[in-house]
Amino acid sequence: MSGIENLFSGMRTSASGLTAERTRIDVIAENIANARTTRTPEGGPYRRKVVMFEPVLRENMAGESTSFGVGVSRVVPDMESAFERVLDPGNPDAGPDGFVEYPNVNTVLEMADLITAMRAYEANLTAQENFVRMAERALELAR
Amino acid sequence: MGAVQGANQGMDMLLRLIDATELRAKVLYANIANQNTPGYTRSDVKFEEHLRDAVRKGPSAVQTVEPEIALDTVSPSRPDGNNVTLELELNAMRENRLLYESYASILEGHFNLMRAAITEGR
Repeated sequence: MSGIENLFSGMRTSASGLTAERTRIDVIAENIANARTTRTPEGGPYRRKVVMFEPVLRENMAGESTSFGVGVSRVVPDMESAFERVLDPGNPDAGPDGFVEYPNVNTVLEMADLITAMRAYEANLTAQENFVRMAERALELAR
Repeated sequence: MGAVQGANQGMDMLLRLIDATELRAKVLYANIANQNTPGYTRSDVKFEEHLRDAVRKGPSAVQTVEPEIALDTVSPSRPDGNNVTLELELNAMRENRLLYESYASILEGHFNLMRAAITEGR
């Protein structure tokens, strides 16, 4: 890769970070929105989702791979944490023992995740601004 | 060595320093983008230290010195195996930009001198 194609690759790296963090924010929002959903098409309560990131690698001329961004590899349901069980025999979704299963969403945890995702999003924006300033400085040389 | 040739050599070095800082900026953007990727190891660009060694060896070594993207295995990792510290990356990014701007300013000075030399006497 060379020439004009390469010129904006730094900006695209930050853009990949913005997209990935945005996906994480969307998934967190979905988790929080469904924190009390007891009925899903798959049956049972809603299961919280987790976003997995992976670096986007590119090989250089020496054959070594270096990272040129980040991508969402998968959005997977959290099978580890248990559903919350609440005794409420009057609820239509209660089991035979009178317990209702609520999603495994911990709102406090989701909020903490949301803050880190937002900070990361802002950091990628700062990096992009930095790129623009450097590019402008280079353009000034041509004046 | 003539004045123009000397100026060209200085400019060649400046352009290579600018290339190295541009590459470093890209690598730092990738680190920032991957700040939440489990198992990610941060990278950095080594050029100035290579240049320093080359200057000691002589002019021919200086001509061939190239910036190198090196994995940083020294910085401590978080429990998820990622060793990016956002504050340090942002700091490195700003420092790198200041370097870039100083190189650009010096280069601009070179250009202005040449322009003065060309237009003088008209």
